[in-house]
Amino acid sequence: MAGLELLSDQGYRLDGRKATELRKVQARMGVFAQADGSAYLEQGNTKALAVVYGPHEMRGSRSRTLHDRALINCQYSMATFSTAERKRRPHGDRKSTEMSLHLKQTFEAAVMTQLYPRSQIDIYVKVNAEFMVCACSLGKGLITRFLFLFIKTFSLFFPQILQSDGGNYSTCVNAATLAVIDAGIPMRDYVCACTVGFVDETPLADLCYAEESGGVSSLALALLPRGGQIALLQMDARLHQDHLETLIEAAMTACKGVSKVLDEVVRQHLQEVSVLTGE
Amino acid sequence: MIKTEKTLHLKSCRGRTVRVVREHYLRERVPCCSSLCQADCDHDGKVLPGDLTHYMVPDAAVVVDFLEILEFRELQGVVFTQTACQALQSKGRRYYNRLRSLVKDPRHDCVLFANEFQEYSYCPREKGESQDKWMTRCVYSAAVWYYNHLAGMMNIVMITEDQEAVAQYSSLNSGVFVISIQDYLQNFWPELQAAHELYSSISQVLQEQEGEDSQKEFAEHLPAEVLEAGIKSGRYIQGTLNVSKHRVQNEAFITTEGLSTKNTDMSSDVLVFGGKHRNRAVHGDVVVVELLPKSEWRGRTTSLTQGQGDEKNEDDESSAMPTGRVVGILQRNWRDYVVTFPTRDGTQNQSRNSQRILAIPWDRRIPKIRISTQQAEALQDHRVVVRMDSWESTSLYPNGHSVRVLGRAGELETEVQTILIENCIHVPPFSDAQLREMPLNSPEKPWKVDPVQVRRRRDLRATHLVFSIDPHGCEDVDDTLSVRRLGDGTLLELGVHIADVTHFVPEGSLTDLEARTRATTYYLADRRYDMLPAVLSSDLCSLLGGVDSVMWELDAQTLAVNKVWFGRTLIRSSYQLHYELAQALLNGEPAHVPELAQVASEDKDAKLAELTHALEMLTHIARHLRAQRDRGGALELEGVEVRAQLDEDRNITALVPRQPLEVHETVAECMIYANHWVARKIQESFPSQALLRRHPPPRQELFSQLVETAKAQGFSVDTRTNKALADSLDQAVDLQDPLVNRLLRMMATQAMSQAMYFSTGAQPQDQYYHYGLALDRYTHFTSPIRRYADIIVHRLLIAAIAMDTGAEPKAPGSNKEVEETAHHINSKNRAAQRAQNLSMALFQCLYFKEKDPQTDPRCVADAVIYAVRDNGVLVFIPEYGVKGPVYLRNKEGQVVSVGPDGGCDWQSGSVRRHHDRISTESASGSATFRLFDHITVTDQEPASRRPGGHSGGGRGQLVQEVVQEAVRLVQEAQQREARPRLSKEEREFSQSRTPNLYSLLEEVRELA
Repeated sequence: MAGLELLSDQGYRLDGRKATELRKVQARMGVFAQADGSAYLEQGNTKALAVVYGPHEMRGSRSRTLHDRALINCQYSMATFSTAERKRRPHGDRKSTEMSLHLKQTFEAAVMTQLYPRSQIDIYVKVNAEFMVCACSLGKGLITRFLFLFIKTFSLFFPQILQSDGGNYSTCVNAATLAVIDAGIPMRDYVCACTVGFVDETPLADLCYAEESGGVSSLALALLPRGGQIALLQMDARLHQDHLETLIEAAMTACKGVSKVLDEVVRQHLQEVSVLTGE
Repeated sequence: MIKTEKTLHLKSCRGRTVRVVREHYLRERVPCCSSLCQADCDHDGKVLPGDLTHYMVPDAAVVVDFLEILEFRELQGVVFTQTACQALQSKGRRYYNRLRSLVKDPRHDCVLFANEFQEYSYCPREKGESQDKWMTRCVYSAAVWYYNHLAGMMNIVMITEDQEAVAQYSSLNSGVFVISIQDYLQNFWPELQAAHELYSSISQVLQEQEGEDSQKEFAEHLPAEVLEAGIKSGRYIQGTLNVSKHRVQNEAFITTEGLSTKNTDMSSDVLVFGGKHRNRAVHGDVVVVELLPKSEWRGRTTSLTQGQGDEKNEDDESSAMPTGRVVGILQRNWRDYVVTFPTRDGTQNQSRNSQRILAIPWDRRIPKIRISTQQAEALQDHRVVVRMDSWESTSLYPNGHSVRVLGRAGELETEVQTILIENCIHVPPFSDAQLREMPLNSPEKPWKVDPVQVRRRRDLRATHLVFSIDPHGCEDVDDTLSVRRLGDGTLLELGVHIADVTHFVPEGSLTDLEARTRATTYYLADRRYDMLPAVLSSDLCSLLGGVDSVMWELDAQTLAVNKVWFGRTLIRSSYQLHYELAQALLNGEPAHVPELAQVASEDKDAKLAELTHALEMLTHIARHLRAQRDRGGALELEGVEVRAQLDEDRNITALVPRQPLEVHETVAECMIYANHWVARKIQESFPSQALLRRHPPPRQELFSQLVETAKAQGFSVDTRTNKALADSLDQAVDLQDPLVNRLLRMMATQAMSQAMYFSTGAQPQDQYYHYGLALDRYTHFTSPIRRYADIIVHRLLIAAIAMDTGAEPKAPGSNKEVEETAHHINSKNRAAQRAQNLSMALFQCLYFKEKDPQTDPRCVADAVIYAVRDNGVLVFIPEYGVKGPVYLRNKEGQVVSVGPDGGCDWQSGSVRRHHDRISTESASGSATFRLFDHITVTDQEPASRRPGGHSGGGRGQLVQEVVQEAVRLVQEAQQREARPRLSKEEREFSQSRTPNLYSLLEEVRELA
């Protein structure tokens, strides 16, 4: 089988981007009134919804309480309609569990948990796809209500990937960052994540699904851009050691690009809110 | 940043239709790659010139079907669209790669335009629009965009085969013309005859394809996913199909690529027996086979074939081996084939249409190719180049089309061209643009060393005595030697100086690209095709001007290396010696050195003494180096080398075996030493992208013939390591017969694997070993004029030297690039080798052609049996360096019987084969032929055949085959002890005795 040519001789990728270009990122904060913080983020066709509750008292088993800092509880789920073939379980399978764990680690590194001892912060992310295409066409005002409805009907208040077109982890992290900021929980910095792949000796930023499934060795990186600290680095493909450095470099540049976009979103949101509250 | 658009694609996957949403980003600035561009597009790479009358934009369907026409270099200003590119990609990877290399090649005037990513030239597919229509619309809108982008300064011609599109679009825009290919060729390139012919030949094929009947001749191939899964699970085996040279119709073997065999018991090849099981695979294809049940396994045939008739008796078989059938083809490796047309006399009109002809390939392993042509009559005796297009399961033969005519068969020029094409060697004359890059060197204006270079290089012109030793009459001298005693005499300095070709051939220049494609200079028996233009290869680089040097300081006593120096130098070669002359000087024989002809006699003696002394020192060092390598286990191998001596008219006057002299070895040893040290240097500097040469140890099972043959003679050969092999070969000497050792060495050579170039990043370090030379690292450095690998190594070495002086480490290429180049050079080298052998065989054939076997004593020769088969023996004739079969049983089942006087004649009887001998029994007694027996044979070139010029018996005849069959002879066994040289007897040469219409007709024609 002839594999797809991921990077043409002219330097174009399958969808017409160049190697270092990100997909289009669009985001909104504060999509739900009930939650403490929430955000909806699209990275190309990957769409994620993140909801944050807390910090609040420990719920469930009290034995998990940490005495010096807050416990971060993450749950990741994918909408059953988020991929081309319907998924059977939205969450709870091994992949989602692993992803939840990664998210937890990422945010433990970024959120200033020591400010809230003996408490708990819940982050829920959900990924989705086609649904949002329809929703978008209904008009902006409707989206929130529509989403809200859908979430009530289909699942709990979880941050979810609503549509998946590659880069699920990074989209979740970016959405969750906005949600945490929306909840007013202090963080060291934005956490920005991005995937990079390595094709023909060239790093490709922000892979889409076709590229991810095309046999590229991909690496996901979550970065605190201002300090340049790495919150999480994940790669489960083979890559020559010599190339790792260039790959990480490319990932960091991409993350910094993402952070600019997020920053803009936050500022715009604040402006809107302050206009509304009349300050 | 960029505007985002979304497109919807309908995609079917596993039969089901799935709707997939894909993003599609458009941008305003997409480079147009034209020098007329008004908008400052940033072009890197190729740019279309502005002085053309028009740019041509081919439609997707045109690119898919008529890519070959677009490959003509004469067509300039071709703009390929991304749409067309993708259409081609769906046809097959191979075609797409061809287009890619076309676009990359700076010698072709064409560019690729990413029209689907351009904001204004992109048009989304509409609902209900067919794929073809949509693609045509895309290409048209790209053409319009080009016209507008270049502000109407250039006319755009879009060519399409879709007549509706011509009608629909042609009047829409003034500067954009839409016409069909035929119109285009007629209007713009009326004089390009070859393109017109190619067009009609391809379009004919396309028409034919539509009206195929649907009777299945072969099983369908399985889909690619099934094959892939099958290979992974071990159900199927992947490998390259190798058709047996001797049993073209029936036997083919699958050579597996070692790594993919999970079940290790499958170490041997897989046999594919018969045409049905081969299932349309052609020699060289990468195929997938399924094993048949054990009960259907068969062995390989061991008896000698005498033409086609024999293929029916299948009783002489070795033990059963894995047998399989082809279930799918992963990769077609079709190339250009040379064919002849069969004689037209009604015998072959099975095809409904008389214009379709089954052409007979020159290479017997290729099946007949069906082509449509009207010129069959005219091209009766000509050799024609054809390409295969497809092979449907409904057809017994593949379809093809003719590309060009080479010339009349049997003519020397045609035959040589045939050899080149069959080996995929393409050597057009150097273009003007390439020659313009060359420095000037004419008698009026001799080339001088640039003074800047003089300062930068170490000048050895005054201090060193530099000389070269090459074969007599050699023109491309690129290596010289120097040797001198340093200071107080405890140190010796040995220098190897190699022409600095890279100084004249900068990386990426047109000359460099051409040299890279050729990869090596091709030496044929009567000519050579240079890798570099003649001004470099036989003029400038031959030892004028600057060179790259490796110099060693050696301890005069122990000859241990004290210091090595690599660098660029200037030299002046004082003597240009040839081997025979150098050997004469060494032996103290009187010799005439041309450079000293004018010198006064006293001076002359002193100079001669100086030169002789240098040569002696050199020999001394070389002996030491050789001994050093011998201790490591270096092999001394034997190849057959015969040189054809030609007179002015290129007729062969004699076949001369090469005489080895010690000085050959001396020079070779110095070169090996230089190569070795350079290899060490570049490998240290560039651990993952140096180009080295390795020689993997041979597979032990390949030695079995050698071991058994030697055992028959009472020698034991240990093949475990190269050292053991070298030692046991040295011991296997029969005092009475020096040929025994030579033959054993030849067999050992045959068992060897091929040495090859590789990039150090692509192999683990323990694989760097050179088995034959017993060196841990080796490369080629000493002949940059005739090998491209050496040019790369020179560049690496220069970069390594620059690194030593503190420059940035900058390798000339990444590991991947180097590895790709290495693969390319390897395959070209093999092709060059084959071409050389074939042309040698051609000339041998010509040599024997003129001799009458009955009368000419030169056709009678002494031969040695080196292998025994079921119905005959294989012999080697040392005098001509030829191998050939000798049949002891002819078609009627008669066997050779030896008379009391040693004469032979045919009598009825039987042949019995034993392990190391074969005996015939007949009424008049029995005769036994043992391994290494000497017999006398007659070389026979049948008078009724032109070399390779016929297509007898319905199959193509290899020139090579003619030679070998020509040598087939019958002879008298002479027990070696007795050694009576006895009479000979010939058997009539004929391909088959069964009444064969072709041979009959051919004979009739000869008589007429």
